[in-house]
Amino acid sequence: MLTSDMTFRDTSAALSLRGLSKAFGSTLAVDRLDLDVPRGSFFGFVGPNGAGKTTTLSMATGLLRPDAGTAHVMGHDVWSDTVRAKQLVGILPDGLRLFDRLTGFQLICYSGLLRGMDRSLVVERAHELLEALGLEEEGGTLVVDYSAGMTKKISLAGALIHAPRLLVLDEPFEAVDPISTSTIRQILAGYAESGGTVILSSHVMDLVQRVCDRVAIVAGGQIRAVGTLNEVRSGMTLEERFVELVGGRADVGEGLAWLRSSSD
Amino acid sequence: MVALIVGLKWQLLRNGLRRSTPQLVGLVIGGLYGLSVLAVSVSGLIGLRIAVPSDVARSVVVIGGSALTLGWVVFPVIAYGIDETLDPARFATFAVPRRQLVLGLLVSSLVSVPAAVTTILGLATVVTWSRSLLAILVAPVAAAIAVLTCIALSRVTSTAFSAASRHRRGREAVSVLVLLLAVGFGVVGSSIIKRLSTPGLLHHLADVLGWTPLGLAWSAPADIAEGAIGSGLLRLALAVIVLAAALLAWDSLLRNALENPRGTTSDRSATRGTGLGWFGRTPATPAGAVAARSITSWRRDPRYISAVAMMFLLPLGLLLAPLSGGSRLWSLAMAPTAGFLLGWSMHNDIAYDGTAFWAHVATGVSGRADRLGRLAPTAMAASVLLPGYACLGCALTGRWSLWPALFGIGLGFLLTGFGVASVMSALKPYPVPGPGENPFGAPPGSSALTVAVQAVAGTAVFVLNLPLIVIGFGALIGHVWMGWLCLGLALVLGSAALGLGTWWGARIYERRAPELLADLSRIR
Repeated sequence: MLTSDMTFRDTSAALSLRGLSKAFGSTLAVDRLDLDVPRGSFFGFVGPNGAGKTTTLSMATGLLRPDAGTAHVMGHDVWSDTVRAKQLVGILPDGLRLFDRLTGFQLICYSGLLRGMDRSLVVERAHELLEALGLEEEGGTLVVDYSAGMTKKISLAGALIHAPRLLVLDEPFEAVDPISTSTIRQILAGYAESGGTVILSSHVMDLVQRVCDRVAIVAGGQIRAVGTLNEVRSGMTLEERFVELVGGRADVGEGLAWLRSSSD
Repeated sequence: MVALIVGLKWQLLRNGLRRSTPQLVGLVIGGLYGLSVLAVSVSGLIGLRIAVPSDVARSVVVIGGSALTLGWVVFPVIAYGIDETLDPARFATFAVPRRQLVLGLLVSSLVSVPAAVTTILGLATVVTWSRSLLAILVAPVAAAIAVLTCIALSRVTSTAFSAASRHRRGREAVSVLVLLLAVGFGVVGSSIIKRLSTPGLLHHLADVLGWTPLGLAWSAPADIAEGAIGSGLLRLALAVIVLAAALLAWDSLLRNALENPRGTTSDRSATRGTGLGWFGRTPATPAGAVAARSITSWRRDPRYISAVAMMFLLPLGLLLAPLSGGSRLWSLAMAPTAGFLLGWSMHNDIAYDGTAFWAHVATGVSGRADRLGRLAPTAMAASVLLPGYACLGCALTGRWSLWPALFGIGLGFLLTGFGVASVMSALKPYPVPGPGENPFGAPPGSSALTVAVQAVAGTAVFVLNLPLIVIGFGALIGHVWMGWLCLGLALVLGSAALGLGTWWGARIYERRAPELLADLSRIR
C-alpha cells in the first residue's frame, strides 16, 4: 500500500510531494510526507510551531534539499528539472532576509530581472503591483525602513512579478494589518479564480477557514488530515478540529486564579 | 534596588561564562594574557616609585592614565552590541526610580573585568606616589575619582550611542566615522610615536594631558608628591567637577532613554527617488541585475563602505614610509597591493547577502550570472584605482617606464583574484557581520574557518601571480621591455584565470546553491 502510494504521482496536481523527509541532526523535521495540491485550489497548510511547515515548503520550492523524497511542480521535478519548475513558482519565504538596501520598487524589479524578463515589462508590472498593494507612495523607500507588513507586501509583489502558476506563501499574513490583509486576500482570491494555485501556511485557523478551500493539518513532520475544508473540519470549527488532532490543551481550566480581576 | 541591579550584573557575568568549552578555553587564555599584562603594569607602577625620578613617573602615569580613560570613552562605540546586558532602555518597563537606577547601573558597572583592572591599576598608582604623607592620603582619593570618571564617561558614550543607533542612519554614520577615525589615528599616531622618542616631547604631552578631563585625576597626586600642593588640589577639585558633569550628562541621557525607550524609528523622509537607479544602467540580463544589486548594496550598506574605505586607504598606507623619510620604492607597491585587495576581497561576497540569497536560489539564476554580476562593483573601483595608483607610484619615483609593469601586476592580481574568489565564494562562506550590525565585529566562533578560507584564497592568488612578479622585478632593474611583457602576460593570464574561475565557480554554484543558502542561514 505504501509503495503504491510512493510510485503513484498525480501529474495534474500543481504540487505533488512524495516521501519528503528532512532531518536536522537527530531531529526529524519532516517525516516521509506525501501531499497533492490540485490546480486552482486555495490551499491552507496549518500546523503548530515546529510542525515542519517551513521545512516542507522550502523543500517543495527548491530552497532546501530533501534527505529523501520528490517534489513536482506541474509535473516538473523541482530537484532535477530545476529551471522549468522554478519558472512556474512564486515564493514568499518566512524568516529569510531581503536585499533590504534596495528600494521597494528596485526589489520587485530585481526578482523580475533575475528571471531574465524584459526590462520594460518588469517596470510596467512593478508599477502595477505597487499600486495594487497600496505601496505607490513607498516605492522609493529602502526596504530596510519598511514596517513588517509593508515588507510582506513587497515580498509578495516580488513573488508575483513573473506571473507564476503556483504561489507558495509561508506565513503571508503574519504581522500584517487588517487593511493590508484584506488587500492581499483580494489579490490572491482573484489569482486563484483565474486558475492559479495558492499554498499558504499559517497558524491563524480563523483566517485559513475563511480564505482556503482545501486544508492540510501537519504536525510532527507528517500530514494528520487533508482534503476540502469541510472534509477536514468534519462539522467542527477548524480550530477545534486542529486542537483535537494535534492534541494540545484548549482549556486552561481553573489555574492562574490570582490573575482574575474578580478575585480581588 | 541597587543591590538587585548589581546582583543582576553579577549573574549575567557568570552566565556569560557558562558557554561552550572552546569559548571557555579562549576566555581562560585571554584572561591569563590579561593577568600577565596587568602584573607587568602593576610592577611597572611600583618600579616608578623606586627607580625613577618623579617627573618621569608623572609623564608615564598621566599619559597611560589618559589613554586608559580615552579607551573607556571610545570602547562602547567600537564594540557596540557587545555588552548591552544592562542597556538602560531595557529597564523602561519596570518602574524603577531613576536615582536608584543611576546608582545601581553605576555600581554594577564596577562589576566587570575592565573595571576591576582599572581599579587595580588605580590602586597601584598609590604606591607610585608614596613620596610624602600628603600624597599617600590624596592618591587613593584621586584614583577613586579617576576610576569612577572612566566608568561614568563610558556610560555617557554608550548611552548616547545607543540613542543615536536607534536610527539606522545614525548607527551607520557613527560606524563609518569610527572607521575613518581609527585609520586616521593609525596614520597620524604612527608618525607622532616616531617623533616622541625625544623625552622632552613626552613631558610636554603629559603636561597638556594633565589639564584635560582625561588626565586631571591622574596628575593630581603627582603634583602633591612633587610638593606643588596648590595645583594638585586644584586638579583634584577640577577632576571632581568633571566626574560630576559626566554623571549629570549620563543622568539626562538616561532620562531620555527611559522616557523614549524605542526612539522614533521610522525614517519616512528616507525616500530616495523612485527610479530604477543602477538597474536601469546595467544590461537587462540576470548578470546585469546582479551587478546592479551589488553596486547598490556597496553604495548603501556600511559593511561594504567600510571595506571600500580599507581598500582605498591600505595602499595609501604604503606612502607612510616615503613620507617619513624611508625608501620611495614602497610607493611602487601601491597598484599591485590595490589589485590584490580588490580581487581577493570578493572571496566571501556571498556571505554578505545573508539569507537574502534565497532570491537567487528561488529564481534559479544561472551560476555564471551570479558569479559575473558580483564582480561589478570591485571592477568599477579597480578601473579607477589601479591606473591611478600606478601613476602615483611612477610619479613619486620618477620612473614612468615602470607603469606597464605596475599596472600589469595590479591587473593580474585583480583578475586572478576574481577567478579564485568566484570559486571560493561558491564553496565555503564564513560568518560576517549581518546587515545593520557593527561592521568591525567578528561573529564569535568563526575565526578558524575565516583564517583558513582567507589564507587559501590569498595563497592561491599570490602563487598564480608569481610569474608576473618575477618579470615585473626584471622591469624594476631596468629592462623596459619586460614591463610590457608583464602587462601582456597579465592580460592573458588574468583573462584565463577569470574565465576558468567563473566557469568552475558557476558549476559549483549550480550544484550547491541550496547548500549555500543552508550554510548562510546557519552562520547567520
